[in-house]
Amino acid sequence: MKNRLKVLRAERSWSQQKLAEELGVSRQSVNAIETGRYDPSLPLAFQIAEVFGLTIEEIFSRD
Amino acid sequence: MPLYRRPGFWAGGIFAAFGIISALRITDAIGSTTGFILMVFAMLQIIPLTRASLAKQRSTGHLSPAIVRYTRRFLLASFGYMLGLGIAVTIANRVDLSGLESFLIALLPVIPVLGMIWTMARYLIEEGDEFLRHRAIMASLFGLGAVLTLGTFWGFLETFEVVPHIWAWWVFPVWAMGMGLGQCGMALADRRAGDGSGEGA
Repeated sequence: MKNRLKVLRAERSWSQQKLAEELGVSRQSVNAIETGRYDPSLPLAFQIAEVFGLTIEEIFSRD
Repeated sequence: MPLYRRPGFWAGGIFAAFGIISALRITDAIGSTTGFILMVFAMLQIIPLTRASLAKQRSTGHLSPAIVRYTRRFLLASFGYMLGLGIAVTIANRVDLSGLESFLIALLPVIPVLGMIWTMARYLIEEGDEFLRHRAIMASLFGLGAVLTLGTFWGFLETFEVVPHIWAWWVFPVWAMGMGLGQCGMALADRRAGDGSGEGA
Protein backbone atom coordinates (compact mmCIF):
# COMPACT_ATOMS: atom_id res chain seq x y z
CA MET A 1 0.00 0.00 0.00
CA LYS A 2 1.23 3.51 -0.81
CA ASN A 3 0.77 6.45 1.54
CA ARG A 4 1.32 10.20 1.70
CA LEU A 5 2.45 10.35 5.31
CA LYS A 6 5.83 11.90 4.56
CA VAL A 7 4.30 14.67 2.44
CA LEU A 8 1.55 15.35 4.97
CA ARG A 9 4.10 15.54 7.77
CA ALA A 10 6.31 17.87 5.76
CA GLU A 11 3.34 20.18 5.08
CA ARG A 12 2.84 20.55 8.81
CA SER A 13 6.58 20.52 9.65
CA TRP A 14 6.02 17.54 11.88
CA SER A 15 8.78 15.11 12.77
CA GLN A 16 8.11 11.36 12.95
CA GLN A 17 8.32 11.70 16.73
CA LYS A 18 5.66 14.42 16.74
CA LEU A 19 3.30 12.30 14.63
CA ALA A 20 4.02 9.26 16.82
CA GLU A 21 3.05 11.28 19.90
CA GLU A 22 -0.16 12.45 18.21
CA LEU A 23 -1.04 8.84 17.42
CA GLY A 24 0.18 7.38 20.71
CA VAL A 25 2.53 4.92 18.99
CA SER A 26 6.31 4.55 18.74
CA ARG A 27 8.36 6.56 16.27
CA GLN A 28 9.48 3.26 14.82
CA SER A 29 5.86 2.46 13.95
CA VAL A 30 5.47 5.74 12.09
CA ASN A 31 8.68 5.05 10.19
CA ALA A 32 7.57 1.50 9.30
CA ILE A 33 4.18 2.73 8.02
CA GLU A 34 5.68 5.68 6.16
CA THR A 35 8.27 3.52 4.36
CA GLY A 36 5.62 0.94 3.44
CA ARG A 37 7.15 -1.85 5.56
CA TYR A 38 3.99 -2.15 7.65
CA ASP A 39 0.35 -1.63 6.73
CA PRO A 40 -1.61 -0.21 9.67
CA SER A 41 -4.79 -1.82 10.97
CA LEU A 42 -8.11 -0.16 10.13
CA PRO A 43 -8.44 1.51 13.59
CA LEU A 44 -4.91 2.97 13.29
CA ALA A 45 -5.57 4.08 9.71
CA PHE A 46 -8.71 5.90 10.93
CA GLN A 47 -6.67 7.49 13.72
CA ILE A 48 -4.02 8.67 11.23
CA ALA A 49 -6.76 10.12 9.01
CA GLU A 50 -8.28 11.90 12.01
CA VAL A 51 -4.94 13.44 13.03
CA PHE A 52 -4.49 14.91 9.54
CA GLY A 53 -8.18 15.81 9.18
CA LEU A 54 -8.46 13.75 6.00
CA THR A 55 -10.13 10.52 4.89
CA ILE A 56 -8.23 7.22 4.77
CA GLU A 57 -8.43 7.23 0.95
CA GLU A 58 -6.74 10.63 0.85
CA ILE A 59 -3.74 9.21 2.71
CA PHE A 60 -3.52 5.56 1.66
CA SER A 61 -3.88 4.06 -1.81
CA ARG A 62 -3.28 0.70 -3.47
CA ASP A 63 0.12 -0.01 -5.09
CA MET B 1 28.52 6.47 23.46
CA PRO B 2 30.50 5.19 26.48
CA LEU B 3 31.10 1.43 26.54
CA TYR B 4 29.12 0.88 29.75
CA ARG B 5 25.99 2.33 28.11
CA ARG B 6 26.07 -0.21 25.27
CA PRO B 7 23.83 -3.28 25.79
CA GLY B 8 26.32 -5.39 23.80
CA PHE B 9 29.05 -4.67 26.37
CA TRP B 10 26.99 -6.15 29.22
CA ALA B 11 25.64 -9.03 27.11
CA GLY B 12 29.23 -9.86 26.17
CA GLY B 13 30.19 -9.62 29.85
CA ILE B 14 27.52 -12.15 30.82
CA PHE B 15 28.55 -14.61 28.09
CA ALA B 16 32.25 -14.20 28.93
CA ALA B 17 31.60 -14.70 32.67
CA PHE B 18 29.47 -17.79 32.00
CA GLY B 19 32.16 -19.17 29.68
CA ILE B 20 34.93 -18.65 32.23
CA ILE B 21 32.86 -20.10 35.10
CA SER B 22 31.88 -23.13 32.97
CA ALA B 23 35.53 -23.71 32.03
CA LEU B 24 36.55 -23.51 35.71
CA ARG B 25 33.81 -26.01 36.61
CA ILE B 26 34.68 -28.44 33.79
CA THR B 27 38.36 -28.43 34.83
CA ASP B 28 37.31 -28.86 38.50
CA ALA B 29 39.17 -25.68 39.41
CA ILE B 30 36.09 -24.63 41.44
CA GLY B 31 33.37 -26.58 43.24
CA SER B 32 29.65 -26.56 42.41
CA THR B 33 28.79 -24.15 45.28
CA THR B 34 31.49 -21.66 44.25
CA GLY B 35 30.36 -22.03 40.64
CA PHE B 36 26.77 -21.29 41.61
CA ILE B 37 27.75 -18.20 43.65
CA LEU B 38 29.88 -16.90 40.76
CA MET B 39 26.99 -17.51 38.33
CA VAL B 40 24.68 -15.44 40.55
CA PHE B 41 27.20 -12.59 40.51
CA ALA B 42 27.59 -12.93 36.74
CA MET B 43 23.79 -12.74 36.41
CA LEU B 44 23.81 -9.38 38.24
CA GLN B 45 25.13 -7.91 34.98
CA ILE B 46 21.56 -8.30 33.72
CA ILE B 47 20.66 -5.15 35.68
CA PRO B 48 23.02 -2.80 33.79
CA LEU B 49 22.23 -4.72 30.57
CA THR B 50 18.52 -4.00 31.09
CA ARG B 51 19.15 -0.34 31.89
CA ALA B 52 21.37 0.09 28.83
CA SER B 53 18.80 -1.68 26.60
CA LEU B 54 15.93 0.46 27.88
CA ALA B 55 17.98 3.65 27.39
CA LYS B 56 18.82 2.61 23.83
CA GLN B 57 15.20 1.74 23.04
CA ARG B 58 14.10 5.07 24.52
CA SER B 59 16.60 6.97 22.35
CA THR B 60 15.45 5.23 19.16
CA GLY B 61 11.75 5.65 19.89
CA HIS B 62 11.06 1.92 20.42
CA LEU B 63 10.10 2.07 24.09
CA SER B 64 6.53 1.54 25.23
CA PRO B 65 5.16 1.15 28.80
CA ALA B 66 4.47 -2.53 28.00
CA ILE B 67 8.17 -3.07 27.15
CA VAL B 68 9.20 -1.54 30.49
CA ARG B 69 6.80 -3.88 32.35
CA TYR B 70 7.96 -6.86 30.28
CA THR B 71 11.62 -6.11 31.04
CA ARG B 72 11.02 -5.82 34.79
CA ARG B 73 9.01 -9.06 34.92
CA PHE B 74 11.53 -10.93 32.79
CA LEU B 75 14.38 -9.70 34.99
CA LEU B 76 12.62 -11.00 38.11
CA ALA B 77 11.88 -14.35 36.46
CA SER B 78 15.52 -14.66 35.33
CA PHE B 79 16.77 -14.21 38.88
CA GLY B 80 14.14 -16.68 40.09
CA TYR B 81 15.37 -19.15 37.47
CA MET B 82 19.01 -18.82 38.51
CA LEU B 83 18.10 -19.17 42.16
CA GLY B 84 15.72 -22.10 41.55
CA LEU B 85 18.21 -23.89 39.31
CA GLY B 86 21.07 -23.41 41.78
CA ILE B 87 19.03 -24.66 44.73
CA ALA B 88 17.64 -27.63 42.75
CA VAL B 89 21.07 -28.74 41.49
CA THR B 90 22.65 -28.31 44.93
CA ILE B 91 19.94 -30.37 46.65
CA ALA B 92 19.90 -33.05 43.92
CA ASN B 93 23.70 -33.45 44.19
CA ARG B 94 23.68 -33.81 47.97
CA VAL B 95 20.44 -35.54 48.91
CA ASP B 96 19.08 -38.92 47.80
CA LEU B 97 15.62 -37.87 46.55
CA SER B 98 12.47 -39.96 46.10
CA GLY B 99 10.43 -39.71 42.89
CA LEU B 100 7.99 -37.19 44.34
CA GLU B 101 10.80 -35.12 45.87
CA SER B 102 12.64 -35.06 42.53
CA PHE B 103 9.41 -33.90 40.87
CA LEU B 104 9.05 -31.06 43.37
CA ILE B 105 12.73 -30.09 43.04
CA ALA B 106 12.36 -29.97 39.24
CA LEU B 107 9.59 -27.39 39.72
CA LEU B 108 12.09 -24.89 41.24
CA PRO B 109 13.60 -23.82 37.88
CA VAL B 110 10.40 -24.65 35.94
CA ILE B 111 8.13 -22.17 37.77
CA PRO B 112 10.33 -19.13 36.88
CA VAL B 113 10.45 -20.36 33.24
CA LEU B 114 6.64 -20.49 33.27
CA GLY B 115 6.89 -16.93 34.63
CA MET B 116 8.99 -15.95 31.61
CA ILE B 117 6.44 -17.49 29.21
CA TRP B 118 3.61 -15.71 31.07
CA THR B 119 5.61 -12.45 30.83
CA MET B 120 5.88 -12.85 27.06
CA ALA B 121 2.16 -13.61 26.76
CA ARG B 122 1.29 -10.56 28.90
CA TYR B 123 3.49 -8.39 26.70
CA LEU B 124 1.54 -9.38 23.60
CA ILE B 125 -1.71 -8.59 25.43
CA GLU B 126 -0.53 -5.30 26.97
CA GLU B 127 1.42 -3.84 24.02
CA GLY B 128 -0.76 -1.05 22.66
CA ASP B 129 1.54 -0.31 19.72
CA GLU B 130 0.39 -2.67 16.99
CA PHE B 131 3.65 -2.53 15.04
CA LEU B 132 5.76 -3.45 18.08
CA ARG B 133 3.25 -6.23 18.85
CA HIS B 134 3.50 -7.45 15.26
CA ARG B 135 7.30 -7.54 15.55
CA ALA B 136 7.17 -9.47 18.83
CA ILE B 137 4.81 -12.04 17.26
CA MET B 138 7.04 -12.40 14.20
CA ALA B 139 10.10 -12.86 16.44
CA SER B 140 8.21 -15.51 18.49
CA LEU B 141 7.32 -17.35 15.29
CA PHE B 142 10.94 -17.18 14.18
CA GLY B 143 11.95 -18.70 17.53
CA LEU B 144 9.30 -21.39 17.15
CA GLY B 145 10.60 -22.18 13.66
CA ALA B 146 14.12 -22.50 15.07
CA VAL B 147 12.95 -24.89 17.83
CA LEU B 148 10.92 -27.07 15.43
CA THR B 149 13.68 -27.20 12.81
CA LEU B 150 16.58 -27.87 15.19
CA GLY B 151 14.51 -30.16 17.45
CA THR B 152 13.26 -32.34 14.58
CA PHE B 153 16.65 -32.45 12.87
CA TRP B 154 18.49 -33.24 16.11
CA GLY B 155 15.85 -35.84 17.06
CA PHE B 156 16.40 -37.84 13.88
CA LEU B 157 20.19 -37.51 14.17
CA GLU B 158 19.78 -38.87 17.70
CA THR B 159 17.57 -41.73 16.47
CA PHE B 160 20.29 -42.79 14.05
CA GLU B 161 22.94 -42.36 16.77
CA VAL B 162 24.83 -39.59 14.97
CA VAL B 163 24.65 -37.13 17.88
CA PRO B 164 24.40 -37.53 21.67
CA HIS B 165 21.12 -37.10 23.57
CA ILE B 166 20.26 -33.61 24.78
CA TRP B 167 17.72 -32.69 27.44
CA ALA B 168 14.32 -31.37 26.46
CA TRP B 169 14.61 -28.21 28.59
CA TRP B 170 16.82 -26.84 25.81
CA VAL B 171 13.63 -25.99 23.86
CA PHE B 172 13.06 -22.77 25.82
CA PRO B 173 16.60 -21.33 25.48
CA VAL B 174 16.65 -22.28 21.77
CA TRP B 175 13.25 -20.61 21.27
CA ALA B 176 14.43 -17.49 23.14
CA MET B 177 17.65 -17.37 21.11
CA GLY B 178 15.65 -17.79 17.90
CA MET B 179 13.38 -14.97 19.02
CA GLY B 180 16.42 -12.77 19.71
CA LEU B 181 17.82 -13.56 16.27
CA GLY B 182 14.47 -12.70 14.73
CA GLN B 183 14.44 -9.32 16.50
CA CYS B 184 18.03 -8.69 15.37
CA GLY B 185 17.09 -9.51 11.77
CA MET B 186 14.15 -7.10 11.86
CA ALA B 187 16.27 -4.38 13.52
CA LEU B 188 18.80 -4.83 10.72
CA ALA B 189 16.03 -4.48 8.13
CA ASP B 190 14.88 -1.29 9.92
CA ARG B 191 18.39 0.09 9.77
CA ARG B 192 18.62 -0.67 6.05
CA ALA B 193 15.33 1.16 5.58
CA GLY B 194 16.82 4.20 7.26
CA ASP B 195 15.34 3.74 10.74
CA GLY B 196 17.05 3.20 14.10
CA SER B 197 19.02 6.42 13.98
CA GLY B 198 16.80 8.16 16.49
CA GLU B 199 16.14 10.96 14.01
CA GLY B 200 12.61 12.13 13.54
CA ALA B 201 13.06 12.94 9.88
